[in-house]
Amino acid sequence: MTAITASGLTKRYGRVLAVDGLSFHIDPGEIVGFLGPNGAGKTTTLRMLAGLVRPSRGRCQVLERPVPGASLRQVGTMIEEPSFYPYLSGRANLRHAALLHGGVTERRIDEVLAFVRMEQAAEKRVRAYSQGMRQRLALARALLWEPRVLLLDEPTNGLDPAGIAEVREALRKVADGGVTVLISSHILPEIERLVERILAVDKGVLRFDGPLQGLLGAAGVGGFDYELEATDGDALLSALSDMGLEPARHGESGARVAVPQARAPELLAGLAARGVMVLEARRGSATLEDAYLRLVGAEGRPS
Amino acid sequence: MRAAFGSLLNATRAELFKGFRKRRLYVLAGLYWLLLPVVALIVAAVLDHNLTGTFADQNGQITQVVQGFASPFGLARLALMAPALMSPTAYIIAVALFAGLYLGEERSQHMWKTVLAVQPARMAVLAGKVVAGMVLLGVLLGGALATSTLGGALGTLFLPTSFAGPWGQVAALFALQWAQLLAALLLAYLLVFLVRSGTLGIIMVIFLPALLEGLYTVLNTLSVLRPLTRFNAVFQALQLKQAWDALPRYFFNPNLYAPARHLLQPFLQSTGTPQGADLGPLSGLLGRGITLGHAAAVMAGYALVFGALTAWLLARRDVE
Repeated sequence: MTAITASGLTKRYGRVLAVDGLSFHIDPGEIVGFLGPNGAGKTTTLRMLAGLVRPSRGRCQVLERPVPGASLRQVGTMIEEPSFYPYLSGRANLRHAALLHGGVTERRIDEVLAFVRMEQAAEKRVRAYSQGMRQRLALARALLWEPRVLLLDEPTNGLDPAGIAEVREALRKVADGGVTVLISSHILPEIERLVERILAVDKGVLRFDGPLQGLLGAAGVGGFDYELEATDGDALLSALSDMGLEPARHGESGARVAVPQARAPELLAGLAARGVMVLEARRGSATLEDAYLRLVGAEGRPS
Repeated sequence: MRAAFGSLLNATRAELFKGFRKRRLYVLAGLYWLLLPVVALIVAAVLDHNLTGTFADQNGQITQVVQGFASPFGLARLALMAPALMSPTAYIIAVALFAGLYLGEERSQHMWKTVLAVQPARMAVLAGKVVAGMVLLGVLLGGALATSTLGGALGTLFLPTSFAGPWGQVAALFALQWAQLLAALLLAYLLVFLVRSGTLGIIMVIFLPALLEGLYTVLNTLSVLRPLTRFNAVFQALQLKQAWDALPRYFFNPNLYAPARHLLQPFLQSTGTPQGADLGPLSGLLGRGITLGHAAAVMAGYALVFGALTAWLLARRDVE
């Protein structure tokens, strides 16, 4: 049983190829991060999976049934900017969605409002909502009929750090309940904390599909970044180069260097053996952001 | 089949939920339901008070006039007829407003992606919008029948009026007029969806049929004034002149408002105008001898075409 399957998914808008032969499958209960620079084809792919856009070629399935089709009733979506009827309250917007979908009780509306902590603002008209409140309400709407699959496009857009953390925890809880989540976001530290697997696209082409650690390794950042401070900066740089590393000067007597995971234990011993007196060493692990930037280029464009 | 019906029911309930929360509906209903009976009763009271028993009231003519438009039946007849004699008609204004609410707003508020993600059965969504629009039109027309009857009943307390009148006919005409508005609603939905703009679609539905019919009149006048023109020459050559001449019988507006304007004919006859007489500009209002059966058939055809086109567009269009 697969939750989401894309087979040669392609979308062309006139001369522009937005998505080019994307193929992947996602198992039930997986949380998958969908990464790529702006215009990479993420939203178009999510729209095709949600049945909003027809593929030019290829096909997609949700819960092993073709899209568009009945299985979409078990999908919750947040695609791009959340939209609502501004003259209706938050609760009325949810009630409208509940009626439209069918099979949703008033109690469930209260539950999702409480889940996204919007009970207090539920009776306000949506036109008075902040961006963060709209994001939360959109998440509540996506969860309304207890979907088995969630397609989320930038769900933390416009949220403050506390809101981002709350949404992360909410999604973690949802996923713990066995819901499959495909989430795109530009806030990479959040993706890193949330997902187990990454799909990275660029120019409509799938560039990476695998576990998070795999992306770190594939991008050559399966190691640590060190910030070192020594009594003699020149000697430090010279010793690091001598060890086959590529250091960069940092301040008067310091250096920054990326060290492969396997060679990390020998770093300080190697410097001591070369007569370098290390005053301070700080280690940071390579992040998804580093890996992502190496994959698609420092400007967020392909390298 | 059962699932499709369930989706249609869900979509209809959701659209009605939204529709009944729109203030413009209540403004429109207030104007339609209250303004007409109030004005008619005031005018009738003034006529009755000032003219009854005067030289103008020979053989009880004032009483007849007051009974004609301020009795319960007279007011009900007026509530059906008057909106169809305005320009643009109140019916097309209501239809345009509902098209703006149910289709235009989905675009202006970027709600299509949400609506179709929540309810992926596109045909059910469209059908729900059509049913909801027809229900709201039914509420408007039914409410007008009820409030005008009620207003007329109140009028019997201070006016020389009674409940007499062919109620069955006027109720049937209300029902037929409501049914024929389906074609107008579908045209409005089609135009709003086609031009991807609520405002432009609304403007088009109000003016496009009249514009096309006006264009025909201009072309027809040219071809009548000049025995041989490039237009009638082509039609003569193709032996289509007869079809061209018969075209007005299939025009949108005269057929759409035929039930409401049908009530105008007995009124004109009561003024001594013979049936089939050339009424000049009024002939257009009366539908040039269009029967109710013909009008119903023509509007059913229009509804079928507009409905099929709208469904086809919605089914194939990507939602951005």
